[in-house]
Amino acid sequence: MGPKSVDKKRKTQVPESESDDELAGRLFDSVLSQSEDDSDFVASDDDEDDDQDDSASKGSQDDEDDEEDDDDALLSDDIPSDLDGEEALGKLLITDDEPEIEVPGVDPKRKDVGDEEKNYRIEKDANGGERYVYDEIEPGYDTDDTDAQGPANTIGDISLDFYDSYPHIGYDINGKRIMRPASGDALQNLLDSIEVPKGWTGLTDINTGNPLNLTDEELELVRRVQMGLIPNELHDPYPNTVEYFTSIEEKMRKTPLQALSSAPEPKRRFLPSKNEATQVMKLVRAIREGRILPYKPPEEGEREAEEEDEVHFDLWQNEEPQDANPMQIPAPKLPPPGYDMSYNPPEEYLPTKEEREEWEKLDPEEREKDYLPQKYGALRKVPAWSEMVKERFERCMDLYLAPRIRKNRLNIDPNSLLPKLPSPSELKPFPTVCQTIFRGHEGRVRSVSVDPSGTALATGGDDGAVRVWELLTGRQVWSVKLSSDEAVNTVRWRPSKDSFILAAAAGEDIFLMVPSHATVTPSLDQASRDILAAGFGYATHGQQQPVAVGKEPAAKWARPGTKLEDEGVLIRVTVRSTVKVIHWHKRGDHFATVSPSGQRSSVAIHTLSKHMTQIPFRKLSGLAQTAAFHPLRPLFFVATQRTIRCYDLQKLELVKAVQPGAKWISSFDIHPSGDNLIVGSYDKRLLWHDLDLSNRPYKTMRFHSEAIRMVRFHRGGLPLFADASDDGTLQIFHGKVPNDQLENPTIVPVKMLKGHKVVNKLGVLDIDWHPREPWCVSAGADGTARLWM
Amino acid sequence: MAKIKRRGQAGQAKNYLTRTQAVKKLQLSLPDFRKLCIWKGIYPREPRNKKKVSKSATASTTFYYTKDVQYLLHEPLLQKFREQKVLEKKISRALGRGDVTDASRLERSAARPDKTGKPRYTLHHVIRERYPTFADALRDLDDCLSMLFLFANLPSTSAVPAKMIARCERLCLEFEHYLIVSHGLRKSFLSIKGIYYQANIQGEDILWLVPYKFNQRIVGDVDFRIMGTFVEFYMTLLGFVNYRLYTSIGLKYPPKFDQLKDDQGAELGAFALEGVNIATNGAKAAVGGDAEYGPDPMLQAAVDKLVRQLKEEPGVESEVIVDAEEVPSDALDKFEPVAPGGDVLPQPSHSSSDPAELFAGMTFFLSRETPRQPLEFILRAFGCKRIGWDSVLGEGSFTTDESDPAITHQIVDRPVVQAAMSSEGDGEDNQTSQKVDPNQRYPGRVYVQPQWVWDCVNNDELKSPELYAPGAPLPPHLSPFVKTAQGQYDPTLPLEVQETEAETLDADLAEVDEAEGDEVDNDMDVESGNDDSEEEAAAELSEEEEDEEDEEDEEDEEEPATLQRQRELEAEIAGKAVASKTVDAKTKAKLEARKALEKKTREEAEDLERAKGMLSKKKRKLFEQMQYTNNKKSAEDMKLRSKRRKMEKELAKKA
Repeated sequence: MGPKSVDKKRKTQVPESESDDELAGRLFDSVLSQSEDDSDFVASDDDEDDDQDDSASKGSQDDEDDEEDDDDALLSDDIPSDLDGEEALGKLLITDDEPEIEVPGVDPKRKDVGDEEKNYRIEKDANGGERYVYDEIEPGYDTDDTDAQGPANTIGDISLDFYDSYPHIGYDINGKRIMRPASGDALQNLLDSIEVPKGWTGLTDINTGNPLNLTDEELELVRRVQMGLIPNELHDPYPNTVEYFTSIEEKMRKTPLQALSSAPEPKRRFLPSKNEATQVMKLVRAIREGRILPYKPPEEGEREAEEEDEVHFDLWQNEEPQDANPMQIPAPKLPPPGYDMSYNPPEEYLPTKEEREEWEKLDPEEREKDYLPQKYGALRKVPAWSEMVKERFERCMDLYLAPRIRKNRLNIDPNSLLPKLPSPSELKPFPTVCQTIFRGHEGRVRSVSVDPSGTALATGGDDGAVRVWELLTGRQVWSVKLSSDEAVNTVRWRPSKDSFILAAAAGEDIFLMVPSHATVTPSLDQASRDILAAGFGYATHGQQQPVAVGKEPAAKWARPGTKLEDEGVLIRVTVRSTVKVIHWHKRGDHFATVSPSGQRSSVAIHTLSKHMTQIPFRKLSGLAQTAAFHPLRPLFFVATQRTIRCYDLQKLELVKAVQPGAKWISSFDIHPSGDNLIVGSYDKRLLWHDLDLSNRPYKTMRFHSEAIRMVRFHRGGLPLFADASDDGTLQIFHGKVPNDQLENPTIVPVKMLKGHKVVNKLGVLDIDWHPREPWCVSAGADGTARLWM
Repeated sequence: MAKIKRRGQAGQAKNYLTRTQAVKKLQLSLPDFRKLCIWKGIYPREPRNKKKVSKSATASTTFYYTKDVQYLLHEPLLQKFREQKVLEKKISRALGRGDVTDASRLERSAARPDKTGKPRYTLHHVIRERYPTFADALRDLDDCLSMLFLFANLPSTSAVPAKMIARCERLCLEFEHYLIVSHGLRKSFLSIKGIYYQANIQGEDILWLVPYKFNQRIVGDVDFRIMGTFVEFYMTLLGFVNYRLYTSIGLKYPPKFDQLKDDQGAELGAFALEGVNIATNGAKAAVGGDAEYGPDPMLQAAVDKLVRQLKEEPGVESEVIVDAEEVPSDALDKFEPVAPGGDVLPQPSHSSSDPAELFAGMTFFLSRETPRQPLEFILRAFGCKRIGWDSVLGEGSFTTDESDPAITHQIVDRPVVQAAMSSEGDGEDNQTSQKVDPNQRYPGRVYVQPQWVWDCVNNDELKSPELYAPGAPLPPHLSPFVKTAQGQYDPTLPLEVQETEAETLDADLAEVDEAEGDEVDNDMDVESGNDDSEEEAAAELSEEEEDEEDEEDEEDEEEPATLQRQRELEAEIAGKAVASKTVDAKTKAKLEARKALEKKTREEAEDLERAKGMLSKKKRKLFEQMQYTNNKKSAEDMKLRSKRRKMEKELAKKA
């Protein structure tokens, strides 16, 4: 039973690999069989004296013979001994119960061959026909093998000792005795010992009594047992753990045999998963849409991506012009290269040695050009421009970091900005040169005035003297010393031709005098004296009452004393503080004085015919600087530091306040026509006001580098005006006031008269125009007066 | 009660943002903000009143318009930048954890335009936004081209990836191809900085600068990241512009690019242009490569000759036919007055020479020392079809054989070698493909220097080649971009035309002086001294110097008298008659003329001063500014003129 199964396994498992073994086995078997034959032969020899010899050995030999017959008949092979041996071994050793263990000493091939040959016998049956007699089938539990041999041991599990006294050992199935194998006598033993068959152990099988031969494998087995090793070489004592529940779980569940739960298989196990379907659909969609791409090796992918990167299409296919954003200023283009940037420029563009040095000395940032023109004779000699990358980089920086400002570049001829001025020759006449210099005053000449007839010039200076000159010749004709300590601040002629009266102010006193002059006829002299004297009678008779008792009169009119009276000075008017300005009314009956330090009484109006003085303003806002009568209408102008106020003398009210915008007005003058006003100021400005137009200046002229002291219009019908400044110059302007009210006056600067020297930062202090001619006279701080014509 | 107004809550303060504020608002890093500004064309603004705008005291704050920043806020690129930032963060975090595989995976998906030269984003929409019309894009092409041509010539470094350079080069060559086909190139100028080109595309003048083919020196303080940002933008822009230009003339874009030829240095020849649909066009619209001209030049020449002969014979007949048929054309017709009496209307000028015809029918050969790329480009753009060059200059030439009989013009740029030298030098000269005596001239061929090509192009006519013969001193190369203004110095005109009156007088006087100086040595010192002062006076005619001038005038009057006396004395000693009487008379007249001129100028200056006085302060300032610049310019011109006068005199002396 055991060996059969072994056989099968052998056949299936190692069909060819052991062919060598097989051969060897066969050879070996044949040898075995031969030896058996030999023993048979011996036994048969023994058989002859079977009867006579009752020895156990003989019996056994007989048995053996029988057995041999059986072998032929029953196809029981000649292995029983082997089998026995094995069994013995099984008894002897604790054999492994593993099915895989090969049984040593069994040669299945040979047995199979025998099987094929002796599967059946052909006998003659009763009818004389052939009859197949099949081998008897040994029934068994586990096998349907027909050629299972009969039990080698029929006596069961009892000791062989019991058969010691018999020649046989048990009985076979047919009831015949199984003869005891021959037990060798001494000689036999010796022979046996001499020719030791392979695997001979010298032992006797305890079950069968046969000599116990062991195969190599068995010996190895024994050896391994002896050594305390695991008998089977192939056995792996430490196999990998098989995770039963985790690894075979799936299989186990699927097979109902191994299932842990007896619940019926749920339906979902047989239906396709919806979730999976959605997942798959997602992928499908992604593939269709191109979101998932087939895998590509990275380099190839890169190359393709690059190609894809350069997508080409018409970006401006449906372009719509947009209005430029006014806030967005496009970057200015770089200027195109000029002649000097050529590799072969004209010679004149090449820098000289000095220019080159200068260029190299400059900081790179300060250079006007970042290159020096250079001439290379031929194109092959031109090197690379070393600043190229840097220049480009700077351009980049400009593009992204420089604030841009839209600049309106006026691409016009600058001369078109200039106003069209009439040429000076058209504007003539005007004074151009210094004609006469009047020397004589010690210290500054404070004031000049030309008499209404235009022949005499009166000057007043720091030396306290008033001098009268012949205008054209510069000869002094008359002089009087008014004061020893006070300067003559101003001199003014009475503006009428029927008299020859000069007013001069020194300190707080105003003197009225009649100088002697060649042109003054005695009758004129007498007329003048009469005009001056007329007031005395009036003063004594009429005008004493209004002066309040206890209140100081505004001015005292008196005779200056005999000494001065002999000189021609006839009246002294004493006011409260130093008089700086005298301004005669056109008709000559009134004159106004201004004493800037006089506070309330700074402006006074004197009436010559009545010897009367009035103080028109109880209070003035600011210090009065100067005052003037309107040339035509009964208006009175008073200038304080900032403003010029115009009062109506009849209605006694303020008409107008002009605001020139200057910081400190020095002087002003009213145009003879009465509608225009020029103002000079200490802050170097000359302002023209059109009184009808606005109370702000119409023109502002700033041609002086120092303060303007005096401004004057020409009174004799010429469109001229002049100003005097501390920078030592006079400026003559052409200022034409048109008759048409709508037209603006034209103002043209025509001449700058230089000649006075600047002394102690004072230049020209006063000017006056000739009543008819385009001549003017100036008073300088250098002690001279000059006539310009 | 009215709401209290706080400083910095309304008005200008709200209109401007500092850069830091802008960056914070956009939640970007500064480099990203910079990129965005460059691409979107946002630039800082100068507030009218800095004090009102800034809360800080620092003077050098950069301000941006709040509106501009808001405009950036809606930019899709912003999201890309943020994604990139997040990715960088992830990478750094992975590296911090030591998770190298994760980091490398993330790194792979990170766009690194600075390394690979291609980003994950596109700038299409930005370009469309910045240039709503194609004309707008053309208007802004100057910087784009200059930049890309520069980058095409840069060496590749870590900051400038090779791919970027290759792309720049390709785009530039494609653009050049367009100009060749459309004959859009107008002017070109060889400057010391590089070669300027001016093209006219759809009425828009585009000027750009191409550096000479040398290795560019890169100075330390150049930030290539900023340049790279610009280049990235410009590459995209030029790509689209090229597409539009190509399609506008019926070509397919991109043109076929032959990598192999390009590797061999064919440059322009590596591209093969093809029409959009060959079926309708029939033949290839244009040919970039020279493959067509590959066949035997001898054969070609023979064929050419035959064709010429054929053309000559039926010439008269064909003309007659053309006249009869009145072939309609796009060209403008010239309106000629038939009857007298009508007004003459200005008409667009008929350009005498078509740029496509300038070099047509010529065959050029470029010697190996000439710059091939610009020459090839210009010659092709002006109608030349057959250009050959030495094989060391690269692939793609019509012929590399210098002895080819088809060649009509040869461009050389080497000095004429002496005969003895040439025989020695022959052995060393092994770079050229064929051994040619450097002085050898093939008959029937025009030899010119490269400048000839440029001067021809700029003047729209073929210049006479004698002036440009090899080794000859070249005439000056003048910039074609200068627009001559009235009164400005123009080197092309003779000096006499441009000189002011004073200058001519001065010059004449100086001449007389020199002549006198030759005769009478003693006079030299006095005269030259006087001369200097006179020149000075002429140069600076300002009012301050009036007095001085007056004095000088007096001196002037005196001096001739003294001179006269001295001369007479000397003549007496020498025992001769008083010499140079005529000259004296002439000088006198000139001196008088000059005096008159001076007086005139002085008067004019006075007038000017008066008129200036009448201007308002603002206008006066403006006027003075204008005058300042004008004076500076005229001073420069004067300097140039005087230099030229000197040179001309020297030349005359030599002659």
